[in-house]
Amino acid sequence: MMRTGLALLFSVLSISLPAGRHVTAAAPIPQQTPVNAYAQAAAEFKKRVDAYLTLRKAVTQKYPEVKETGDPIKIHEREVGLGKGIAMARPHAKAGDVFGPASRYLLKIVEDDWNSRSAADQKAILGEIPRGLMLKVNQPYPPTIPLASVPAKLLAQLPMLPEELEYRLVDRRLLLRDRDANVIVDVLVGAEPTRAK
Amino acid sequence: MRLNHLLLAGLLTLGVSTFGAQQGPTGRPVAPAAAAQAAKPPMEISPPREQDSVRFGILGDTGTGDRRQYEVGAQMTKAMQIFPFEFVIMLGDNIYGSERPQDFVKKFERPYEGILSQKIPFYASLGNHDDPTQRFYKPFNMNGERFYTFKKGDARFFALDSNYMDQPQLKWIEEQLSRANDRWKIAYFHHPLYSSGERHGSEVDLRTRLEPLFVKYGVDIVFAGHEHFYERIKPQKGIYYFTQGGSAKLREGNIRVNSALTARGYDTDNVFMVAELGKESLHFQVVSRAGRRVDSGSMPLMPEPKQADDKSRSQ
Repeated sequence: MMRTGLALLFSVLSISLPAGRHVTAAAPIPQQTPVNAYAQAAAEFKKRVDAYLTLRKAVTQKYPEVKETGDPIKIHEREVGLGKGIAMARPHAKAGDVFGPASRYLLKIVEDDWNSRSAADQKAILGEIPRGLMLKVNQPYPPTIPLASVPAKLLAQLPMLPEELEYRLVDRRLLLRDRDANVIVDVLVGAEPTRAK
Repeated sequence: MRLNHLLLAGLLTLGVSTFGAQQGPTGRPVAPAAAAQAAKPPMEISPPREQDSVRFGILGDTGTGDRRQYEVGAQMTKAMQIFPFEFVIMLGDNIYGSERPQDFVKKFERPYEGILSQKIPFYASLGNHDDPTQRFYKPFNMNGERFYTFKKGDARFFALDSNYMDQPQLKWIEEQLSRANDRWKIAYFHHPLYSSGERHGSEVDLRTRLEPLFVKYGVDIVFAGHEHFYERIKPQKGIYYFTQGGSAKLREGNIRVNSALTARGYDTDNVFMVAELGKESLHFQVVSRAGRRVDSGSMPLMPEPKQADDKSRSQ
């Protein structure tokens, strides 16, 4: 389900009749259904997320969810096993596979959010993560570095995700991360890392 | 300035002198010398002030596994003899760095062995260094959830995941707050909505989303970590804010000098905190790794419902 926070973008991207065009009763109106490019991309993104969840569910059969336990070994083994299982189940996955055609809209959201922030805010966001972090699809998110927080304002603009997935923002690159498998599901192509405004 | 802030200014008392006659572990008054001996000086901590109050400890940014964490843990264990808290809340960054099984032992179970052995439960929230799978770790009592609530006496606690404040969580918070009719409502999470830290500072994005809910539904106290020091913020919109992210890491000298937000700051040693929710007041004490009390006081329960008041915001 897409977030209403994207309504503005939605309206900007809508196709409408050119301003000033007059239509008389006598003139036949071409039957053209307005196409909203963003809505199409968002629907496609949701479809791809759903496909990922289907694949994930199959892998989960082998690595069922852990219940609360005092034994961290069980939690660790499940996380690692699930991560490897997911990576093996989509061996040819590459950046952009899940974001798909929504990528350009998501890029704009990330960019607009970034540009709306003060230099101090940008510095604080970038300062959370060490420089030069290389993140690739199907690899684990490096377990020894912090999970970059996603600013609440940005999160409100992005399409909502199911509980199994989360966005993470690393050097302005938007990631999709599997929350319990700690595996990188997708990386937004085109979002360039930067350390300066 | 609102009336309740005037009231607060009048009632807020600080420092060691605010605590009355000392009591032994049994609650009976004892002579100061005997109490000091029982406490094994230099631990500076006073017993609870009210009967049947909700008593708890507060730790933030703990999981380093280094000497400082162990020393704070030892002091807190010692403090339990005088101030017998019933549970501990954790403000995130529970495990730094790798989260292998042995890290849970080194960075949590051993440093707080003395507390855990007394069957004192911990209730954790997630920090930016924490893998969300920590929610399955039973000693953190998160019930498998990133955000959750629990009740203790007249108080309801809300542990939030400030790393990822998405729509489902916001909806959940509002639902839970709206149905809570407890005397005290306490929220805690990792990122501080107000902070005088030079490194991070206030989390304005988060504040924009959370504070209106806190004000609307009468949250009384907010605890956060992330900043590696202790700071008590001047009340904002009728809410008491504490930052306590210095229970193992320390960012020495990081509190901005002359910050309009700070009521009391301490950034020269690691600390733990104990608090007590009484009938009408919050009583708190902050104790350093060396056993020195660095802040303490009593604050009145704010009247409800709270109303927005922009004039009270300092920054």
